Amino acid sequence: MKIFHESAAYHVSGKAVYIDDIQVSDQILNGYLYTSPYAHAKILKFDLSEARKTNGVSAILSYRDLPGENQMGPIVHDEPVLAEKSVEFIGQAIFLIAAQTEEAALEAKKKISIEFEELPAVTTLKQGIEQNSFLQAQRKIEIGNTEKALKETKNTLSGEIEIGGQEHWYLETQVCLCVPGEGMEMKAYASTQNPAETQAIIAEVLGVSKHQIEVETRRLGGAFGGKETQGNHVAAWAAVLANHTKRPVKVRLQRDEDQKITGKRHPFLIKYTAGYNDEGLIEAVDLELFANAGYATDLTMAVLERAMMHAENAYFIPNMRIIGKPVKTNLPSNTAFRGFGGPQGMIGIETIIDIVARKLQKDSAEIRFKNLYGIHDKNITPYGQKVENNRLFMLYEQLVKSSEYQMRRKDVERYNAQNEFSKRGLAMTPVKFGISFTTAFLNQAGALVNLYTDGSVLLNHGGVEMGQGLHTKMQQIAALEFGIDIDLVKVNATNTSKVPNTSPTAASSGTDLNGMAVKIAVDKLKARLAKVAVKKLAELQQGLNFVEEDIVFEKNAVFSSKYSDLKIGFQQIVNAAWLERESLSATGFYSTPGVHFDRTEGKGQPFFYFAFGMAVTEVEIDVLTGQHHVLRADILHDAGESLNRSIDIGQVEGAYVQGLGWVTSEEMKYDTKGNLLNHSPDTYKIPGVRDIPQIFNVKLLEGAPNPTTIRKSKAVGEPPFMLAISAYMALRDAVSAVGNHKLEPDLQLPATNEWIVLACRKLRNMLMC
Amino acid sequence: MNHEILKTSEIRFLLGEQEVNIDFSVSNYKPTTTLLQYLRSLPDRKSVKEGCAEGDCGACTVVFAEIKGNALKYKAVNSCIVFLASVHGKQILTVEDLGKGKHLHPIQEAMVEEDAGQCGFCTPGFTMSIFGLYKNNNEPEKSDIETALSGNLCRCTGYRPILDAAERACIYKGMDKFTGKEHQIFQQLTEIKSNKEILFLKTEQNQYYLPFSLSDLLHLKKENPHALLAGGTSDIALRVTKKKENLPLIIDISQLDELKTISKNDNIMFFGAGCSLEDVRIACEKEFPSLFSILSVFGSLPVRNNATISGNIGSASPISDTLPVLMALDASLEIQNIHGKREQKIEDFIVGYRKTTLSSDEIITRIKIPFQDKNNILKSYKVSKRRDLDISTVNAGFMLNINNRGLVESIKLVYGGMAAFTKRATQTEKSLLNKEWCRENVENALKNIQNDFSPISDARAGAEARQLLAENLLLKFWNETRI
Repeated sequence: MKIFHESAAYHVSGKAVYIDDIQVSDQILNGYLYTSPYAHAKILKFDLSEARKTNGVSAILSYRDLPGENQMGPIVHDEPVLAEKSVEFIGQAIFLIAAQTEEAALEAKKKISIEFEELPAVTTLKQGIEQNSFLQAQRKIEIGNTEKALKETKNTLSGEIEIGGQEHWYLETQVCLCVPGEGMEMKAYASTQNPAETQAIIAEVLGVSKHQIEVETRRLGGAFGGKETQGNHVAAWAAVLANHTKRPVKVRLQRDEDQKITGKRHPFLIKYTAGYNDEGLIEAVDLELFANAGYATDLTMAVLERAMMHAENAYFIPNMRIIGKPVKTNLPSNTAFRGFGGPQGMIGIETIIDIVARKLQKDSAEIRFKNLYGIHDKNITPYGQKVENNRLFMLYEQLVKSSEYQMRRKDVERYNAQNEFSKRGLAMTPVKFGISFTTAFLNQAGALVNLYTDGSVLLNHGGVEMGQGLHTKMQQIAALEFGIDIDLVKVNATNTSKVPNTSPTAASSGTDLNGMAVKIAVDKLKARLAKVAVKKLAELQQGLNFVEEDIVFEKNAVFSSKYSDLKIGFQQIVNAAWLERESLSATGFYSTPGVHFDRTEGKGQPFFYFAFGMAVTEVEIDVLTGQHHVLRADILHDAGESLNRSIDIGQVEGAYVQGLGWVTSEEMKYDTKGNLLNHSPDTYKIPGVRDIPQIFNVKLLEGAPNPTTIRKSKAVGEPPFMLAISAYMALRDAVSAVGNHKLEPDLQLPATNEWIVLACRKLRNMLMC
Repeated sequence: MNHEILKTSEIRFLLGEQEVNIDFSVSNYKPTTTLLQYLRSLPDRKSVKEGCAEGDCGACTVVFAEIKGNALKYKAVNSCIVFLASVHGKQILTVEDLGKGKHLHPIQEAMVEEDAGQCGFCTPGFTMSIFGLYKNNNEPEKSDIETALSGNLCRCTGYRPILDAAERACIYKGMDKFTGKEHQIFQQLTEIKSNKEILFLKTEQNQYYLPFSLSDLLHLKKENPHALLAGGTSDIALRVTKKKENLPLIIDISQLDELKTISKNDNIMFFGAGCSLEDVRIACEKEFPSLFSILSVFGSLPVRNNATISGNIGSASPISDTLPVLMALDASLEIQNIHGKREQKIEDFIVGYRKTTLSSDEIITRIKIPFQDKNNILKSYKVSKRRDLDISTVNAGFMLNINNRGLVESIKLVYGGMAAFTKRATQTEKSLLNKEWCRENVENALKNIQNDFSPISDARAGAEARQLLAENLLLKFWNETRI
């Protein structure tokens, strides 16, 4: 039976409550920011006295008014809640305003007096590299002897590629409502992927213990990594204002504000040198990855690390050196975004293979196939982990057939020969994505399961529902394990007072970690119920031998596998357990076994397993306008034994289309001062309904259970994002057709119509020469 | 009529089945409060979400039922760029109205069953866009569904399940709980609209006029020369939502049915200035396919449902999508003030960056498009980053007439996005006159485009790309019209 998203009926009828929908008393104030107009400046002086007199304004706060630490950096403490002596990016918060209306806040802003001294700013990645503006020391991962191999290899190529950032564009902008309680208590309704960290930051900023702070998260209106750490910011601001005014305060960023001041996917610059033989086997790759961190650390080091760990994607490269450098710039601190560096990391090697194929005049799919990780050998990653349960060959064989790749390659060639101003491109790319937080201690989760005497189940776990269907899967797991109808299980809003000290819902780990924790809690309760069941069954039918090991939970009943005719209803057994004074509440705790990584050595076993996928995308470009269509995409993705096919397909399709935006239309443009030019959907273009593939075949790989996870499933949130790299490679193929595949297309990422049309002209001009 | 003594009055509309009266003189709302802000201020209309406050995401989509001719017509609009005052005489529907008790509407059911929502934030807006389609088009094709959803962004699903849900819901051919009540709603709205006295809405900071006849409008404009004109408000609402301006004086033309007529004679087609872009699009498909094609990629359906043709012309934006093709079609405007009428070619009407010849007491009343010589070839082009709901990087309207000797008899190459206002590439045109319409001549002529224009770089594209696109569009035009 198909299980729908647990909130679906609420979503469609407007009953799903998001933070901005929470009904609050008319005492509520709204929080507003006064932010930096400069990318880098000293704050010489300021005066808030006039502004504070504004009608309808309850408070205007500077860093001097903060009760606790002026700090909201999640790992490294390098992000002030409010700027003190200097500002380091346009949009950095300097003052907070609590007002009844926006008009009052705007009026107050006009009356704030502040003087800056502008300082030189680093506003691009390249400037940062030139000026040696690095956040931390570089990281390195190496296997084999890259230098030696590059000298000995027959063919080499080198170059660099610039990869743009990406705005999360969650539909619900950053928002938090804080309601002060008695004493030092504060309750925060936060749109955060990491309630425990939001709780910690609020506690630090208010200078109180964590037990005073309760963070609750019902659901997020989209996140995609953008609320892994940066949901903390609005929470800190709202908490400070609520604490100061002793009134409920909501901070909700407006769209333009959100786009201007929050971090995005890290732009990267990749410098590459590769060596390969005449067969197209890649023998050595030397990479330098530069990540544009923005002004502060945030999650940059982990993002960079994941980029490095995905720089070889699905290919065995015997000699590979990967250097990662975090570049500090005067831009908002870039942050997590679906794939977390993985997509940027993969672009390097996929571009190299694309070029090798062109140089050797071979089909790029053939070169890709040749270099895939092996099953029995050629299966060690640059960081020393063995690639186990490799699904790449299963995927390749099935997808080449189902996508009719070979036939369509010929069709594309024919089409291109017949059309001067319209070209088609085709590409097949694989994905191998490591599952686990690379910071090992984060791989833990908790759950709290309450049984009530009517047989209903209330499920609390540490994960956050942001649309990915996590709560639905948790509900399914609890129902399956208890053997009861899904309607008997309700998933509570995520709450730090129910399940403490949790990890963020990120790294695609939500189901793996929390699902296991739920199961462990359910198992504890089942053991208690089984004890009672043995007693009650024996009472029902004396003379039979009932043992706890034989007790089965199925179809809303409990029975012994030996005497399956004799059943006690689930509700009856729960009630009986209560009368027997058994605890009907249990916690579950899970930690992923065996994951570790040594950063100085660049070696370890950072991932519990790998998720795989493969995609074939065909595009058509208009050589004269640069506009493109995705004609067809065929995807085969490995979700293990899917817990919920419809939800998993939804993740694959949604991730692919989001990836399509990253590689085609979502471009961040800045002026020389560091002002983001496209700070609203007017000029920042995520895919719309007509931008998806005209033919869109998405399937999950069958018959590939994941041996060690909850119900043999696989994480599915992030991996399919990178399937969209096939669209970028198909666009390169189409542009390359303008030069009859003899010339290298100069196509940056995202390949917007602007860059496609310029790249086409370049090739047309070169052909004429 | 003396407008000095106009009494302040109130607006009336239906919210679901409930009639609502708002007297702005005693209300916390302003006439320029957006419909979105109003709905979100109510306890039971939280489904209507703010995603962007500029009509670019559709999270706030609601459906209007309004009287059109003798029928009740449904249309999806972006509530974030509609002024509350302009909903007078309409019925507003949100997802809260769709279900019946515990039962979901067929669209809601389909959305649930296709897993068409993930985070759910955009879902009410999509549901209402589909509702607009459901009530208007009984057997939609895939392209109709896409058009209906062109104004809604979803960041989670990748759209496929939403398209499937729309298709699945529409098998009910528009029948639902609203069908039986339409007559009653029609009566109620008719009663509201029976009052034809100017509505004068006044707050401490705002004066907002809603006239119902052209003569009232002309008098109001004469007496309030600095008043802003509001039609579909898709442009000026942004001054409220984005620039945070207070707009103190507005005359709203949206109640004037006499400005919404479309007619034709043997030579000319006439479009009332208050016609929505969607009404124009539907009406011009056969007569002016070049205008139809550009309107099909203009904004999104909810934007076109409300935005007016005269608003797009009158705002004289350098990237207006209608201006190049209207100029290529040699369209003209009928302009009135209380003293009389004048007529002007659109080409002469636009005189600078957002500058026109319209004087402060004048109103555009009609757009006149002449039927074309059968030898005229017309094409329109729009280059944008995204197909739907995007603003042009460069757009163009081209007209070509080749005489019986095979030479270019006349040519008009009108470009948007290349200068401060929509302009012809006059030197390029000149270089093609009386020449054979062949690739060599066209490629030679391309070189003149850099003499005609010096475009700028902005958030949409760089100058280099714009220059190249302008050249390429001409080449594309040649390629599509080559003999």
